[in-house]
Order: sequence, then C-alpha cells, then structure tokens
Amino acid sequence: MLGIIRFLTEPFAPAYMQRSLVISLLLAALSGVVGVVVQLRRLSFMTDALTHSVFPGIAIAFVAGESLFVGALIAGAVAATLLTFAARSTRIDQDAFMALVLASLFSIGVIVVSRHRSYSADLTTLLFGRVLAVDTADIITTAAVAVVALGVLVAIRKELLLRAFDETGAEAMGYSLLRIDLAVNLVVALVVVAAVRAVGTALVVALLITPAATARLLCSRLQSLMISAVAISALAAWLGLVISYDASVHHGIRLAAGATIVVVLTALFAVVAIAQALRTGMARRRTLAAVAT
Amino acid sequence: MTNALHVHDLCVTYDREVVLRDVHALLQPGDSVALIGPNGAGKSTFIKAILGLVPASSGFVEVLGTTPAKARPLVAYVPQIDHLDARFPISVQQVALMGRYRRIGWLRRPGRVDRAATLDALEQVGLADRANDSFGVLSGGQRQRVLIARAIAQDAKLLLLDEPFNGVDSVTQDVLIEVLGRLRAAGTAVVMATHDISVAHLACGHACLLNRHQVAFGRLDDALTADTLKATYGHHAVMLAEGTALLSTH
Repeated sequence: MLGIIRFLTEPFAPAYMQRSLVISLLLAALSGVVGVVVQLRRLSFMTDALTHSVFPGIAIAFVAGESLFVGALIAGAVAATLLTFAARSTRIDQDAFMALVLASLFSIGVIVVSRHRSYSADLTTLLFGRVLAVDTADIITTAAVAVVALGVLVAIRKELLLRAFDETGAEAMGYSLLRIDLAVNLVVALVVVAAVRAVGTALVVALLITPAATARLLCSRLQSLMISAVAISALAAWLGLVISYDASVHHGIRLAAGATIVVVLTALFAVVAIAQALRTGMARRRTLAAVAT
Repeated sequence: MTNALHVHDLCVTYDREVVLRDVHALLQPGDSVALIGPNGAGKSTFIKAILGLVPASSGFVEVLGTTPAKARPLVAYVPQIDHLDARFPISVQQVALMGRYRRIGWLRRPGRVDRAATLDALEQVGLADRANDSFGVLSGGQRQRVLIARAIAQDAKLLLLDEPFNGVDSVTQDVLIEVLGRLRAAGTAVVMATHDISVAHLACGHACLLNRHQVAFGRLDDALTADTLKATYGHHAVMLAEGTALLSTH
C-alpha cells in the first residue's frame, strides 16, 4: 500500500513536476467540462480543425519572437469565427470546409516553421507540447483561461443547453444561434490555445474528446457527465505524469509526458467501453436464458 | 381584437423553387387550424414561415399583430418528436423549464416561479411524477407530452405543433386534445400540422389543406370535404364515409 502511495506521489518532489501536475489538473478541469459541451454540440471535428488552425499562429509568433500564447489566441479566434459563420451557411459543405481550413492553415504553419533554422526540434515542441517545461506564468495564464472559459459557459448554460437539444426550438424562441455558437466556439478555441503549450496541437484534441466520450459511457445526466469527465481527465493526467516519470527515471525509457497522458486517457476509455460491452452481453444472455426457461 | 395569425398570399421559395404558394389564413385568439396535406406539401414550411425562420418571397405573415420575428417570444413551437435526440442527457423537468427561458432572460437562473410554472405544466400533461426522470427513458408519446408542457410553460399566445399526434399512444392523444382545448379556451390560437383527419375533427375548428399550394382554408366542415381532400391528396385519397377518408401520405 505504502509502495503504491510512494509510486503515485514520489514523482512530484521536483518543482517542475509539481508545476506539470498543477497545469495538467487545471487543463483536466477545463477540458473535461468543455469536452462535454463539444460532445453535446457534436463539435469534435470542428475542435480538431481548431487545433490545426492554431498551429500557424504559434508558428508565426515563434518565428517573429512574439508570445506563442498571443499568436495561438489570435489564430484560434479567427478560425473559430470563420468556422462559426461557415457552419451557418447552407451553401457550404461543412465537413469539406472544415477539412479545407484544417489542412490549409496547418500547411501555412509548416511552411513558416520550416523556414526557421532549428525547425525539427521546434516543430516537435509545437506538435507535442512540453508539459514538463511549463513555468508559473503558464499556470497563471491557464488559470485565467479556465476562469474566462468556464465563466462564459456558466453564463450561457441555459441557452447552450436549449440550442444543443433543440436547434429549431431555440431559433423559434428567438435566440440567435450565431451568437450562441460563436461564444461556444471561441471558448473551445480558448481551451485549445491554453492546452497547446502543455500537450501540443496534435494531442490537445484528445483532451477535449476522450474524457467526455468515456463519461458518456458511464452517465446520462449533464452534471454527472461533467463531473466524471473532469475526474477521468484528472486521473489520466496524474497517472500519465507518474508513468512517464517512473519510466524515465527508474527504467531509462523516455516517455513524452503529454503523449503518455493521452495514452492513459485512451486506455481508460477502452477499459470502460469493454466493461460496458461485457455487461450488456451478460444482461442479454441472462434475458435470453430467462425467456428460454 | 388583434388577429392571432393573418397570412395573405404567402409564397415561399427555396433555391428559386416555389415550395408553397397562394396561402391565406386568418385566425382569432382561441381558434385552431389543422394543416392537412401529404408529405412534402409544405406544412412544416408554413410553420417555419409563421416563425419567421423562412422568409416570404411574396405576400405577408402577421403574427399577433406584428412581424413573425418580433412575435417569437409569444409563440410556442413544438417540433416533431423524432427530430430530437432521445439520448441527449437531460431531465424531463429541464426540457419543460426551457419554456421559461425567454422570461428568465440571459445570464439569470430560473427562480421559484419558473419552477412552479414548469411543474404545473408537467402536471397538466400528467407527467409531474416523472419530472426528475431522463427525457430519453420516456416513451414517444410521453416525450411529446413533455414538449407540450414546455409550450404550456411558455405561456404563449400562438401555439405551433408539427405532427404532434404522430405515433403517440391513446393516453397521449387524449391528454393532447384536452390540453389544446384548455389552451384555446384561455385564448391561445393553435396551428397544428397533421396527417390525421379524425384528430383534426377532434382538436380543430379550422382546416387548411396544402399541397405545395393552398387547396382550401376555412371552418373545418367547409374546408375539409371529399372534393378538397381529393384535390389535396389526388388519387391517394379514398373516401370511406361522411367525414372519414383513407389517406396515403406518400
């Protein structure tokens, strides 16, 4: 028992590991809640498009020597606004447009970065993040983002719920879907931007999608969905950091911390999905047996 | 007294194709009209025009003495039940409470009055005891009743229903007819799209027969005749006896 506790807590003795844990737990709370909204509004693909759209913003800021956060923020806000307006148009095929935005903006990012000297190392950082290298300023920024994003969601939770549940009903009541959608998409963009430094553009989508998808297998109430998504996300963050630290320090295997968190998230999803499938199968067999007798 | 609904020579086009034309209608508070016609006849389009969600390419729609867009807070809309995701994580009470949202306003939380109005509305459709259940575990008919409760909670002056009797059980049908009668007595006008002629007879005083254009509008007995039904449904209508007909909706 003591061994397990030591295994789970020992990695957080160094200050940099404590900072990683704090930022990971902050992101867990943020992405857990926002992830549920993404799922209810069926915005998974749009979220993926946003993560790729943020990349050129970071790349340009990086090359120009400006703040990566501000670069990502501007790119994220522009992409979120563009995608919101496109989604309201009946003339544009949604999936095709998102794929187009995603690919073209990402390629702009690659072009910008590839013109830079230390290209491959920088690209790796941008794609996969550096959760172990975050500083106190990053933590403060992420906390501020969490306050703003969650504040907006709390403020418009009624309208958001109605819009997700009954689109025509919301319009019929006189709500501007554009306004609600824009607010939500900007919140998603904000979370993507906040998470990018820690886990990178390639993995941030997993933080937003996987915990909510796992929670959906477990609960059917909005509140419990959000609480479970945050808990699952926090558990994966903790375990991911512990595993990556343990592998590196005690076994000499270098595991990228951000990616390990994502792998743990996926493993949790798989365990829950398989357990659910087995339970459903057993219940069906029991019913069949009862019918047979 | 302000008309509940006044439609004059309405024409609606989608992508330059005329989907509905020549529609005239006049409803007073407490009136109820059945929109009757085959699938694709423009019943849902007409409802959306009354909501101001599709523009009139010519003619006009006046709702409660003003434009459809301005009247929206006083208009309740009940969508077809199968247009909603039954797996959506929401409770019966949360759905009914949505009817109060416009009253509550942005940023504010529902108060005691709103919760009481919601529970009262659920009581009226016989589902007060299911308030805390998941919307998804209810039967189709019960879900339809929750949407009606949402409309009641909205306290609207004009109620628009899209096929409310589709696939519902007989308990729900009785509850709906009773509730609609009560709302009409309180002065709410009702517009209801339906395939079911017998339901139209039970719930409505007026009929509006559509098949991409208006075949007839008027008091039910005048507008809903063997001739107008044949004109609306073509050879898909088989008249059985006085006031009854077999209709193929395709």
